[in-house]
Amino acid sequence: MIDRRLLTHINWPFFGLTILLLAVGVLNLYSASAVRIEGGLSLDSYYQRQMVWGGVGMACMVLVMAFDYRHLRDAAWPIYWTAIAMLVAVYFFGRSISGARRWLDFGLLNVQPSELAKIAILLIGAKLIARQEGHYDWPALGRILGVVVLPALLIFKQPDLGSGLTLFMILGGMLLVKGVSGRILKFLILVVPAVLPFTWFFLHDYQKARIMTFLNPGRDPLGAGYHIIQSQIAIGSGEMWGKGFMEGTQGMLSFLPEKHTDFAFAVLGEEWGFMGAMILLSIFCAFLYQIYLVAVDAKDEFGRYLAVGVFFYFFLQIFINIGMVLGLMPVVGIPLPFISYGGSAAVVNFCLIGLVLNVSMRRFMFKKG
Amino acid sequence: MKQYRLDNQRTRQSHLWLVQVLVAGLFCLLSLRLWYLQVYKGEHFARKAQDNRIRRHTVYAPRGLVVDREGRFLAVNEPAYGLAIVRENCSDFKKTLDYVALVSGAPREVLVGDFEKGRKRVRSFEKQILLSNIPFSLLAKIEADAIHWPELQIVVQPRRHYTQSELFSHVIGYVAQANEDELNADPGLQLGDTVGKAGLELIMESRLRGSKGLKEEEVDAAGRCLNERVISSSEAGENFRLSIDLDLQKSAADRLKGQAGAVVVLEPRTGKVLALVSQPGYDSNLFVGGLSDAQWNALVSDPLHPLQNRPIQSAYPPGSVFKLVMAGCGMMNHFVSLSDQVYCTGVFKLGEREFRCWKKGGHGAVDLRKSLVESCDVYYYQLGKRMGIDTISTFTKACGFGAVTGIDLPSERPGLVPDRAWKVRRHGESWQGGDTINMSIGQGMLLTTPLQVARFVAALINGGHLIRPSVLADSEVEIAGQLPMNERTAAFIAETMVQTVELRQGTAWRLKRPGVRIGGKTGTAQVVRLMEKYEKKTTDEIPYKFRDHAWMASFAQQDDDSYVIVAMVEHGGGGGATAGPVVDAVYEHLFPRESQDDLNAVPTRESNPT
Repeated sequence: MIDRRLLTHINWPFFGLTILLLAVGVLNLYSASAVRIEGGLSLDSYYQRQMVWGGVGMACMVLVMAFDYRHLRDAAWPIYWTAIAMLVAVYFFGRSISGARRWLDFGLLNVQPSELAKIAILLIGAKLIARQEGHYDWPALGRILGVVVLPALLIFKQPDLGSGLTLFMILGGMLLVKGVSGRILKFLILVVPAVLPFTWFFLHDYQKARIMTFLNPGRDPLGAGYHIIQSQIAIGSGEMWGKGFMEGTQGMLSFLPEKHTDFAFAVLGEEWGFMGAMILLSIFCAFLYQIYLVAVDAKDEFGRYLAVGVFFYFFLQIFINIGMVLGLMPVVGIPLPFISYGGSAAVVNFCLIGLVLNVSMRRFMFKKG
Repeated sequence: MKQYRLDNQRTRQSHLWLVQVLVAGLFCLLSLRLWYLQVYKGEHFARKAQDNRIRRHTVYAPRGLVVDREGRFLAVNEPAYGLAIVRENCSDFKKTLDYVALVSGAPREVLVGDFEKGRKRVRSFEKQILLSNIPFSLLAKIEADAIHWPELQIVVQPRRHYTQSELFSHVIGYVAQANEDELNADPGLQLGDTVGKAGLELIMESRLRGSKGLKEEEVDAAGRCLNERVISSSEAGENFRLSIDLDLQKSAADRLKGQAGAVVVLEPRTGKVLALVSQPGYDSNLFVGGLSDAQWNALVSDPLHPLQNRPIQSAYPPGSVFKLVMAGCGMMNHFVSLSDQVYCTGVFKLGEREFRCWKKGGHGAVDLRKSLVESCDVYYYQLGKRMGIDTISTFTKACGFGAVTGIDLPSERPGLVPDRAWKVRRHGESWQGGDTINMSIGQGMLLTTPLQVARFVAALINGGHLIRPSVLADSEVEIAGQLPMNERTAAFIAETMVQTVELRQGTAWRLKRPGVRIGGKTGTAQVVRLMEKYEKKTTDEIPYKFRDHAWMASFAQQDDDSYVIVAMVEHGGGGGATAGPVVDAVYEHLFPRESQDDLNAVPTRESNPT
């Protein structure tokens, strides 16, 4: 149970930033839900559903905060295998949406097992890294990377390149923070860029097309390049002060694709301009910095690396999503935390926030046995 | 707290600083990119967003109508349909163009070529015309298939229609799709627009065209229109009323049919053109729909040159018609008096060369009056020799020859009045005495257009005004110059023309009709010098291209009405025989004879007077 003393240690600035992000997200979704039609506006219910999901998420967050995060150290492997089982189940029973088999249908809920896999990797990573003494050498690195291979392959197969790589990147980030030996670092710096081009042959055609289009959006302005071009037009046309709330033509007239999900940031950039976008970026920075502080202050290595893992989880999504919307990265389907519409994402995000708060508020506790 | 510090020492062993670097890096990179997109390139993208959402549509302006003197429609507009493509709705141009080629029968390479050429001129989401003037059957096919081809759209484009296509082809000209050069030269033109290419359509293009309107629509990404507003309304082009009378034009053209030639009917006081016929004509409507290569080649390679606007673009030697100018020149420069006589034996000798009169036996004693009425050549050989080329060419130019008349139609030719300097320049030879003799009877290098001849005749009876001819009913009368003759001289020459009609010896006697003062002068212009070879033969036996050109210059006055009529029949043989009847047909329209008796009673003459 939650100790009363713990409540006084809740990291309110971090929680406040989270709520602020949720509020910005809902406000932005309200605008993104609107479509101008002949003679007026029509509103979809995305923003309402997002608020419901926010509530559900916060409930989960409280649940995650309720017990000592150190219990999760023991639950890491069971969660990992559950995730694997679900990924395999997806392979056989998964629901197919636009050619990708990523969801498990539980009646009311569509669960994306790749999300669970991200949490599992986070836990396993934190657990293994916390145990590690000193920098990583080759055998240790091999052991820990071995953990990620199976879920990653299953996710690649769906196909969901973005989530698969995210697993590697979360774990990779945690490992970098822990520190690898200098030789390994040199090796990675030399070899990874050399190997990268060969992965080209393992990509699906549409993935290749996305990368080609990223390099040159004008190549196919009405097909794959359309997203990038329209998104840049939306953001750019916001100029310094934006067109005003609910006034973005790119969004309102549906030129902007997937404006409530992957491209929600473009709606914000169009309506609130450079100033608005910078404010959101600043909030994200403060948010990430708070996670960093939790990692610094964490009482034990497991807690610290949990926070580091969560940091990378959010960092990657923020960086990849905004980078993609701004045309700095290829288009991969990664949502922007709290800003993009999405139920499972909201729940997972809040669970992770719960984890961080959990670590944060227990930083003064003495070690149990 | 001690515990906490201990942990911090372990923290220092790890690379947590990396996390700070990543956050800082992320913030910098993304804000730089935001600044670039929103501030540095903001205006650019704002414009693009505007282009995205606003579609501009052209509202076509009806082209000005052209009517005849009496208000009868000659050039009108009728609705027609074009096929346009909106590239942005297209998933695969090649497939779409294949489909269009298949259903329309248009050659695919041409379609693709035009499409590629045109696409640079069309803004995004604007319609680009693929085919104009598509038939109903094709329209129906495309509409029926519309669901599969959302990028194809039918557009209504007004199309020019000429009610009297061939009869007025050389006056009104035609419109056709603007070509690359015209599009580049005129920013007001869009792909698929038609512009005047010949005749009045060309010269009055800017006034006939009017101005297109602009409509703006706010559309969503699916192209649905949400709002509409008119930016500028279209303005119809100016209407034009011709001075030409449809019936008169028809009567002249009908009589000329089957031959190549020209007829000009002028109002001598105003210079208004009442008829301007060029035969053969062509169907102006063919050009509107776009001419096939075969059709074009047929027009261009036709030996009768239907595209040539003969009254103003073709210059011929005037033949004996020129004697009117020579007589005036002689009188004004005091080389002859009315009583001076020349004896015509039928031959004139200049050194070794012999120049003949058209009348074998000669005219005997000839004074100036008789020389014109009976068109004696020898008289003018002598007069020409006495006056010399310098006097003749100066006077001829002053009569309006060798320069354009300034008629309001395009591509008028000036003809040619040769002089010494010209011959040296052109042929590298000095002027010869024989050249002057030849020119004295309107042969040789002298070239005049039928319109120049008509204007000259008009000046003889309108007080000496060289008037700028006009085909428009409402144009201002413009006097471009003065005939270099005094009133007495002009009146005398006009009177001899009347006698040429009135007297039995006159070469234009066929034109005579009671109650009307009609004057005339025939002309036969040699096409080749080798007349000896064909001398004995009748016109029908001579190959067409070697036959003489036939002229008839004429005027008529009745009460306050007066007309000048000039007919020219290419390779028509003797002037009186072929050009005369054409002029007569026009008079028949203007002053119908009550009976045909006096014409039929006249015996035909043996040889063709010149």
